[in-house]
Amino acid sequence: MNANLIAVIRALIFIVFALVLCGIIFEFAGYSSLDMFQSIVDGAFLRPGGLAQSLRWAIPLFITAVGVGLSFRCGFFNIGAQGQFYLGAVAATVMATSLNGWPALIVVPASFAAGIAGGALWALWPGLLKLRSGTDETITTLMGNFIANLLLVYVTTGPLKDPSGSGQQSSSRPLAAAYRISNSLGLSPTIIVIAVVVGLLMWLLINRTAFGVVASLAGRNPVMVRWQGAKVWRLGIASFLISGALAGLAGTVEVFGPNGRLVGGFLPTHGFTAILIALVANLSVGGTAVGALFFGGLASAALYLPIMAGLPSAAIDIINAAIALFITARSSHIDRLIGGLIGRARKTP
Amino acid sequence: MTGTLAPAITCHDVTVKFGDFVALSDVNLSFERGLVHAVVGQNGAGKTTLARVAAGLIRPDSGRISIDGKPLALGNVRESRKAGVELVHQSFALPPSFAIAEAMEFGADRFGPAFSSRGLRKRWSAHLKSFGIAADLSARIRDLPIETQQSVEIARALVNDASILILDEPTAVLSPSGVEALFERVRGLKKNGITVILVLHKIREVLAIADTVSVLRGGRLIAAAVPAASLTPMDLADQIVGSETGVTDADDAAALVGAAPSRHAGMRAEARSAVPVLALSKVATAPDVDGPALADVTLRVHPGEIVGVAGVEGNGQKTLVRAIAGLTAARAGAIELTGLDVTGTDLGTRRRLGLSIIPFERNSEGLSLTSSLWENWSVKRLLADPLLTFIRPAALRSDSDEAMKRWDVRYRHAGQPAGSLSGGNAQKLVFSREVDDEARLVIAAQPTRGLDVGATAFVWQALRAARDRGAGVLLISSDLDELFDISDRLIVMLSGRIVADVVPPFSLAAVGAAMTGAGA
Repeated sequence: MNANLIAVIRALIFIVFALVLCGIIFEFAGYSSLDMFQSIVDGAFLRPGGLAQSLRWAIPLFITAVGVGLSFRCGFFNIGAQGQFYLGAVAATVMATSLNGWPALIVVPASFAAGIAGGALWALWPGLLKLRSGTDETITTLMGNFIANLLLVYVTTGPLKDPSGSGQQSSSRPLAAAYRISNSLGLSPTIIVIAVVVGLLMWLLINRTAFGVVASLAGRNPVMVRWQGAKVWRLGIASFLISGALAGLAGTVEVFGPNGRLVGGFLPTHGFTAILIALVANLSVGGTAVGALFFGGLASAALYLPIMAGLPSAAIDIINAAIALFITARSSHIDRLIGGLIGRARKTP
Repeated sequence: MTGTLAPAITCHDVTVKFGDFVALSDVNLSFERGLVHAVVGQNGAGKTTLARVAAGLIRPDSGRISIDGKPLALGNVRESRKAGVELVHQSFALPPSFAIAEAMEFGADRFGPAFSSRGLRKRWSAHLKSFGIAADLSARIRDLPIETQQSVEIARALVNDASILILDEPTAVLSPSGVEALFERVRGLKKNGITVILVLHKIREVLAIADTVSVLRGGRLIAAAVPAASLTPMDLADQIVGSETGVTDADDAAALVGAAPSRHAGMRAEARSAVPVLALSKVATAPDVDGPALADVTLRVHPGEIVGVAGVEGNGQKTLVRAIAGLTAARAGAIELTGLDVTGTDLGTRRRLGLSIIPFERNSEGLSLTSSLWENWSVKRLLADPLLTFIRPAALRSDSDEAMKRWDVRYRHAGQPAGSLSGGNAQKLVFSREVDDEARLVIAAQPTRGLDVGATAFVWQALRAARDRGAGVLLISSDLDELFDISDRLIVMLSGRIVADVVPPFSLAAVGAAMTGAGA
């Protein structure tokens, strides 16, 4: 209990630090930081439809981030969520394109299965390399992101290219309306159900199965778990596959939901924001939901700032970067300080 | 006690705290020049802390130290060295990849900007020869036998005309004959006017070498540089152990302080007829980083017996445990658990047959220090079922609470990290997980290392209780007093082979000879 409380307070402290730092930067850049933060809150939550837009951005982030959280929990720094997200989107689009014309009841589930499998496979090879030959998964998953990005560019400019498309951004043909799971606003009961089911299943897996306990022990000390007779290899592969599958699912949701097509280079920072969310959430599923809403709000505000408030949307990038800067500093000093303060607060009536 | 010369080293009210833990409490102590001084006490008594304070590795929270009557700037290794104090660490500190000559140069004051390996060999060969070190000076430290490594450490410590040499637990890694050779060397140093301070914990060794004895207990000084001649083994044992430990068994008490090789009471020959819980036949493995390959190892452990494994560390004990666990493949031979052939099976299968392991490295192989107590405790049970089995954390917590209470683990709540337990409590946690009614074979690898006296006695009782319940116990230890006290049978390992298999009454001379190959 106490450890969780400390984690929450620590995340909040870091976010406050980051926001103060951003405020200073805004002031130096000649903007009123008060205006800036006011507009961000307006854009994210207060304006009409703001909350719905924040949710629209939060849901794919949440799906990817719980997967990232699981692989971090198991001790694998799989930072390839972006590539797995893209591969999921590509695989789902390929499936939808090749089944085009069939009833939605067949096409949509088949495409989702393909998207999930695509993401999982894009996580499988770094996982196998890591567990078979000790290759650093941070490097391989990172490199995988670049390959996936180029693959996405290739399919959207080549095999899947929409010939009627013009302009700089290439994309696939739009999906038939019958296959879409939401309109272009990107929020529908189907998408919400997907997010809730993913959240519940992952919560159960992590908190209510032997796998969850053993995997998080293995993440902290694989040697000890091996001496207990566990097959650490299997735990590792499972964590890679699940995190890849979820990123692939998020990519599929983007294609079948708000985008309605596969767009070259879409959401280029999705995977990294998801990593940030998993870290802010201290890898817990509940925390990930809150974190996703926060960062989803920022994403929504990024669209609102330049249009409605005449402020640069780069402000959001600065906030993201500032939080990233602080969140990895998990100093035990700070934990002890927080622990001490909690203890004192409980003693004083 | 000439009184005219200032003492070699004097501590005034030295206090060291680590957080809330008081490692040394107002220690006042003087060591006279040119003698051999022993500092004794149980693990955690503060001996090593005292040695480190003198060497400048730890800055005390309060107090002063003077060397030859001159005050020493505290907490600074360089100042301590300049004053002539050198420390040889318990776990050696020379870079393993260095050649001997390079390691010597590394410790020297005047270490120049450039050197050739031939120049180094020339420079140090005389110095090393004066210590009777015959090894090739270009040999790497890691390839040296443990006794030679220690000699090189001592030679390294004395390159700069040190006048006070502190050896921290120098005998812990040595065979009985190695201890004899070390003491011979210490007497030689004393003859050359060097003040030697030995941190020890065995009474037999203390009385064999020391001129004065100082006893620490729980960070407090119990006896300050008392002449050794005035002490009897039993006096010293009382001072070291104290009266509040609850060790009732006289043999255990003697074994705890290494007062004397204990008598051995029971032999359990009747157990031999049963199917062995562990049977290795002619097992061989490939060599690995932890020591030589096993060669032709044949070993049986029967239900209801404790088989001790003696040997100088690094003679295949770790590989033996890993081979039994299935973490190292057997190249040849067969391994049976409870009569079933398990050669080639994985550890999970073996554990389901009743294999329990108290591993060598409690803090890495035994526990996940940043995970909670209940997770550490539950893992064995969780792995017995399929991984997608539904669990109730609250139930696991209360089960672990119950088990830890039964094993007398001192903790605050089941959610605290295992790293917050003391060594003794952490080991009890491991026992509470491993040693249950299902355990048919308990492998206990150095189970009392780093434990205080109460916890050590507890571990022995737990192993005896497991044996009395009908489990077989394989106890690997480098402490012969421990092995002699609780083993029903003893094997000796040397270079990956079993070179002796002896039954009580054990003879220190015979086992010691087998450990070094002298008996073969």
